[in-house]
Amino acid sequence: MRFNFGFFMREALKNIRTNFLMSITAATTTFICILVLGVGLLVSSHVEGIVGSVQQDVNIEWYLSSDMSQEEIDEMEGEISSFPEVENVSYTSEEEALTRFQDTFSDNPEVYQDISEGVLPASLEIQLNEAEDADAVAGKLEDAGAAPADLNYPQQTIERLNAATGYMIWGLYGATALFLVSSILLISNAIRLSIFARRNEIEVMKLVGASDSFVRTPFVFEGLLQSIVGAGLAALVVVWLNYLFVDWSQSALPYVPVASGAVDTILILLALVIVGVAIGVIGSFVSVTRFLRV
Amino acid sequence: MIRFDNVTKIFGRDTAALEEINLEVEDGEFIFLVGQSGSGKSTMVRLILKEYEPTAGAIHVRGTRLSAIPRRKIPRHRRSIGCVFQDFKLLPNKTAAENVAYAMEVTGQKRRQIRTKVPQILELVGLTEKMGKMPDQLSGGEQQRVSIARAFVSQPPILIADEPTGNLDPDTSVGIMQLLHRINRIGTTVVVATHDKEMVDVMRKRVVALDNGRIVRDRVKGAYLDEV
Ligand SMILES: Nc1ncnc2c1ncn2[C@@H]1O[C@H](COP(=O)(O)OP(=O)(O)OP(=O)(O)O)[C@@H](O)[C@H]1O
Ligand SMILES: [Mg+2]
Repeated sequence: MRFNFGFFMREALKNIRTNFLMSITAATTTFICILVLGVGLLVSSHVEGIVGSVQQDVNIEWYLSSDMSQEEIDEMEGEISSFPEVENVSYTSEEEALTRFQDTFSDNPEVYQDISEGVLPASLEIQLNEAEDADAVAGKLEDAGAAPADLNYPQQTIERLNAATGYMIWGLYGATALFLVSSILLISNAIRLSIFARRNEIEVMKLVGASDSFVRTPFVFEGLLQSIVGAGLAALVVVWLNYLFVDWSQSALPYVPVASGAVDTILILLALVIVGVAIGVIGSFVSVTRFLRV
Repeated sequence: MIRFDNVTKIFGRDTAALEEINLEVEDGEFIFLVGQSGSGKSTMVRLILKEYEPTAGAIHVRGTRLSAIPRRKIPRHRRSIGCVFQDFKLLPNKTAAENVAYAMEVTGQKRRQIRTKVPQILELVGLTEKMGKMPDQLSGGEQQRVSIARAFVSQPPILIADEPTGNLDPDTSVGIMQLLHRINRIGTTVVVATHDKEMVDVMRKRVVALDNGRIVRDRVKGAYLDEV
């Protein structure tokens, strides 16, 4: 028999209308599950993004004492550049330090009014290839004559961050996976209930000579439509929440490097809709099949 | 057309609904299956539809042994049998007309064909006025007639009616019997399971009487209560 798409779609729409409450329940369950799943993905992506960007720009700042001559400084800069762990070294003079400071606080001139040249020291900013090397490089700098108090690098912060975020990211992924499993169970249960309520209908259809696929297809279409609505709306809300969060964090948490690009919106939209629809369609298929043995 | 060879059906451990039934219904025949409540009439109908498997024995329908039909071919087997169920078995979310149409849709018939055929058959059972009504808006007799219309709309070679006049007043019952008679005259094999004594007596057709799961009588031009 030829596959009659129009017929099955009309049947599915009619069924959704007559079993509206059940359809709403299934769609709402899908919506909530996909929403939570999406928020989980958002949090994971952002944490990963922040950790990545923190680790990326690990550098050591060496505040130079004012009695170093320019030649000594140039020599030192050359030597440090040759360390294999170092990506590059840049020199900031006292004037540049002041200008930078003034730029940072340009909105509050009273902060820098009284600061004159010489208060802010000149420095060498040493950009590292790998965050883990910070201790080793600092040691080398001390050997080269730097006082430990003049070296500023976030070694402990990095170590703790590494340990904590490692667990945190795994924890987040674990939670997301767990939630995926419970979503599958919740959504397919909602579908199973709605189909269970109609098992007698299925039996009658089979008794008047309907084939398995003839009975099943409208139910699968129903599952498809319900999950497109539920998962689609949830995915849109997730993308919107992401937008709000990125926007808010830029003004409220200026020092946390929340990247607007940490979350690929199209990818997350697609992934959520596909997951939701797959659960809806497969759930309907499996649930009806259970009642087809008449 | 339909043949039972030593068919026994036992439910659960020891409820013997049918015991060693031997019956042959010829092509184009009209037979009544009579017997008290619980004598096994509906069980025979369900076996013919392959809703159940017999505990022992074999059933052939149109030359095919039912136990040899694979699951995926059962729908085709059922489409060759129109069935009026004792409890109607209408789809609750479809109107009278949609219920009748469903039996044509499962066979993949064209929409245009369905649109012309369904009103015709509903007129035949006197339900033109009610074709847009849902089953729960119809009386028992009206639902029964929808069930009859659905069973016959695809003009299957076999029509089985389980208690088709159980909920009807005498006049309507006569109308239904005349309809079944006409259906039989165009070559359809008709099996009617019933308690309706008057109807059986009036029709003078073959009567097979069941008692406690056994065939106790088989008369060619019988009445409901022929002496043995
Ligand atoms: N699914 C079942 N499970 C267990 N026992 C059953 C089942 N179906 C029928 N029976 C038993 O089989 C016997 C025959 O039942 P059946 O429905 O065939 O009778 P019937 O002749 O159609 O009666 P009625 O005239 O009341 O419709 C009864 O004793 C009934 O209790
Ligand atoms: Mg019965």
